[in-house]
Amino acid sequence: MIDIKDIRDTARDMLTKGEARAVIGYRRGSRGMLAEPAFITNLEQADELVWDPTCFHNLSLYLVEDRKFLAHLRKTANAPIAIVAKGCDARSIVVLMQEHYFKREDVYIIGVSCEGTGVVDERKLAPLLNGAHATSAAFDGDDFVFTTAEGEKRLPAREVMADRCLECRNPFPKEHNAVFGEDKTGRQLAEPFAALTRFEAQGNSARWDIWSRHFDRCIRCFACRSVCPMCYCDECVVDSISFPVTAETTAEDKANRIRWIERSAVRSENITYLMTRAMHLAGRCTDCGECERACPVNVPIRLLNNKMEREAREKFGYEPGASIGGSSLVASFLDSDPGDFIR
Amino acid sequence: MPDNIYLPQLARVSSIKEEVAGERSIKTFRVEPVDGKLFDHQCGQCAMLSIFGRGESMISIASSPLIREYKQFSIMRVGRVSSAFHELEVGDVIGLRGPYGNSFPVDDWRGKNLYFIGGGCGLAPIWPVITTAVAQRANFKNVTVFYGGRTSRDIMYRAELEKLRESVDVHLSIDRMEEGWDGYCGFVPAAVMDKDPLPDNAIAITCGPPIMIKFVIQNLNKLGFKDEQIYTTIENKMKCGIGKCGRCNVGKDYVCVKGPVYSWAVLKNLPEEY
Amino acid sequence: MEKILDKKQIDGWIAALTAKSQDGWEVHAPMLEEGIWTYQPASGAVRLDHPNTNQSPKGFAFPQREIFFSFEQIKGEAPRLTQVLPKEQRHAVFGVRPCDGRGVPRMDKVFTDHVEDPYYNARRKNVAYVGLACNKPPSPNCFCLSVGGSPVSTDGLDVQLTDLGDRYFVKAITETGKALMTAGGKLFTDPSAADQKQVKQVHTDAVAHPQRKINDPDGAPAKLRASFNSPLWEEMARACIGCGICTFLCPTCHCFDINDEVQSKAPLKGQRVRTWDNCQFPDFTMHSSGHNPRENTGARLRQRVNHKFQYFHENFGMHQCTGCGRCISGCPVGIDIVAVVNKVTEHAG
Repeated sequence: MIDIKDIRDTARDMLTKGEARAVIGYRRGSRGMLAEPAFITNLEQADELVWDPTCFHNLSLYLVEDRKFLAHLRKTANAPIAIVAKGCDARSIVVLMQEHYFKREDVYIIGVSCEGTGVVDERKLAPLLNGAHATSAAFDGDDFVFTTAEGEKRLPAREVMADRCLECRNPFPKEHNAVFGEDKTGRQLAEPFAALTRFEAQGNSARWDIWSRHFDRCIRCFACRSVCPMCYCDECVVDSISFPVTAETTAEDKANRIRWIERSAVRSENITYLMTRAMHLAGRCTDCGECERACPVNVPIRLLNNKMEREAREKFGYEPGASIGGSSLVASFLDSDPGDFIR
Repeated sequence: MPDNIYLPQLARVSSIKEEVAGERSIKTFRVEPVDGKLFDHQCGQCAMLSIFGRGESMISIASSPLIREYKQFSIMRVGRVSSAFHELEVGDVIGLRGPYGNSFPVDDWRGKNLYFIGGGCGLAPIWPVITTAVAQRANFKNVTVFYGGRTSRDIMYRAELEKLRESVDVHLSIDRMEEGWDGYCGFVPAAVMDKDPLPDNAIAITCGPPIMIKFVIQNLNKLGFKDEQIYTTIENKMKCGIGKCGRCNVGKDYVCVKGPVYSWAVLKNLPEEY
Repeated sequence: MEKILDKKQIDGWIAALTAKSQDGWEVHAPMLEEGIWTYQPASGAVRLDHPNTNQSPKGFAFPQREIFFSFEQIKGEAPRLTQVLPKEQRHAVFGVRPCDGRGVPRMDKVFTDHVEDPYYNARRKNVAYVGLACNKPPSPNCFCLSVGGSPVSTDGLDVQLTDLGDRYFVKAITETGKALMTAGGKLFTDPSAADQKQVKQVHTDAVAHPQRKINDPDGAPAKLRASFNSPLWEEMARACIGCGICTFLCPTCHCFDINDEVQSKAPLKGQRVRTWDNCQFPDFTMHSSGHNPRENTGARLRQRVNHKFQYFHENFGMHQCTGCGRCISGCPVGIDIVAVVNKVTEHAG
């Protein structure tokens, strides 16, 4: 069990010694039980930090934001940023470092192990609360404990955990500066890729029907892209999202920018968007599942990313975010790689 | 369906003139209706121009409202649609809808001294006021035009400005000295100070790069111009032109409806979101 | 017109409305699909037991995609434009919650003020809203009472249903509503004095249910105006990821983009299309020059909140927000418009 006091003390310590210019973690939000991202820069704020089953967010997203902001201001950082990271989040940070987005010394990783559980899936929880709304959530061994107006509700974590956490094999952030919680690497609450396997058991035409409905439903709010730490491109195939137009960008550049996808949220454009994104995440996605959680219309985006992840694993023995020194999937070649696709 | 505000009228390009060459080139397009007549407009208003397949862009109307046969637009090549405009040839057909926005209160300025202060492509939005004032010269007292470009090659409406000298005072400037230049050398705000215009019974109309407008207004204030004697136009990204698409607002008002013309007395109290 | 409709008869009423002999309404009702409530064409088994729909019903008059016209051009010839009109089809939308009902007159103001929007008008005149009062708040983030609304508001609705257990109390709000009810004929019965008493009680209880609360909604416009330069905006928007959930789910967000979609280059063939847009996207206000008047998430959050609680109020004398809470429930990173308005107004003094 993680004592939140340890995380708070670490945050305070880092800030006091000036070893971090900010600590990114989780705090209680204003919406019921849900935690929200917290950006701690002074000591009092450190007491706001929480650690509970609603700490969904992959905060490494904000390391990317910070980098972009510094680049925009043409400034360099005077100290690292400390960040609270779960196993999947820490692997995202490793991928970002593999891709030279920032250096190891730019980040102080406060690792938190999910131990035997993970984060809650609100969609699984809602029916079990029978219309009640939880005002807090807590880890307790293999259970989650929720507070509602009708009293305390204890549920086996496995019943309400997110699929990604059930299938997770590495709930421990291997890459860290400090770490809290027990290392339960190798634990397996469900078969890896279980949801994907279940889905693929259906025939081709059934799968196409299902995906067609999902693609039709997408409203292209881009939450999946915006919440993803790997979707950091200044210029996306979809549009420009960051600071890609500057005073130096020529009219030529702007005029020649290809519009790969129309803004209309229709099937053809939505497929192009979602499939392109999945391809770009091959060997990079660490299955934090934030895209799927953020989706307001329940498109099972994780299945697409999982498919790529499993291909990388089975064909190339590749695990995204395994080590900083390791090369990235699409930037490496081994003699033993299956070569059919080249011929 | 009654009048469809989003359906453009077709207009044919009848002449194209390159005003400024280079990376950020400016071309002036004269367009005439394919059928019927074009809408009437007032000084300072804008129109939504389209190239079908490329999209629409809001451009200020650079010709005088007194001219009804054609409209003129001076377009700098900066983006997707404006680049497509620069590839047009005489005879090509574009889409046109409008006019949009408010206008300069030219009628209120009768009997006054007018100072026009423009920089770069900022001459185009105030050009209809200048040409209208010249056409109705007797309605106004002294008319003075200050206009500057980065270099002599960035001066637009060169021939028209020369012709303007016949009826009004014209002071041209460039940022840095060039051989053979006999006008003022320096930034536009300084060029204005150099001539020491008097605020009595006067109106100053300025348009240009934001930083130029800022210092021009500061200098005009120093010269004794009151905020309500200073007018400018602003721009924001626009899509509809009728206050619905929701992106050009500055505070509660949409620039496409309540702008683009503002007196400094009004504008200085609005949030700086333009 | 006030009537009673047995819950078992609602499918009968819908069948009567869709019958060709009537006006040929297409009826839509909330259905649970893939874990979310969406309006679907109703074909029996309508049970109005939804909390609120995932998306607001604004799309019936303002769809996410609207084709304005198609264009065609053979090189060397003038382009030919063909206006594309929305299909003349009447839609009756069932189960509209009061907050979404109140969204309708707000959208009407936007699209008919100053200049009428022909596409919105063409659709709007063919849509009727059959509302469902909220006996208790369907979402933990409901706050309609804070923005001048109520769980039993009839604003924007043509008919109001109130759930009385095994039957609905049905009230016509507009002439269109009366016509809808008349189409149901004998399915409706007259309410008894007990029914009248019960509906009154249900409405009283509905209003008494606790909700999220905006502390000073009346003072918000002036206080927001005074807080334009507050550092709070950037602080509160620190976690914002710049997605479109809050605005796309909102019943009153109306911002849109217009683009040309090209199907063929030579000969040129394509369509000019309106799509929803979102003030939280970084490039929403970006000029061609790269200059962006709302450069950071703070400025963009301020625009969203000010539009709802200041600008719209200054223009139309009412808050644009109707308190449905979708933007709060849907935000992946916890940005909460109630908390934001409260914080800014408290700091404004």
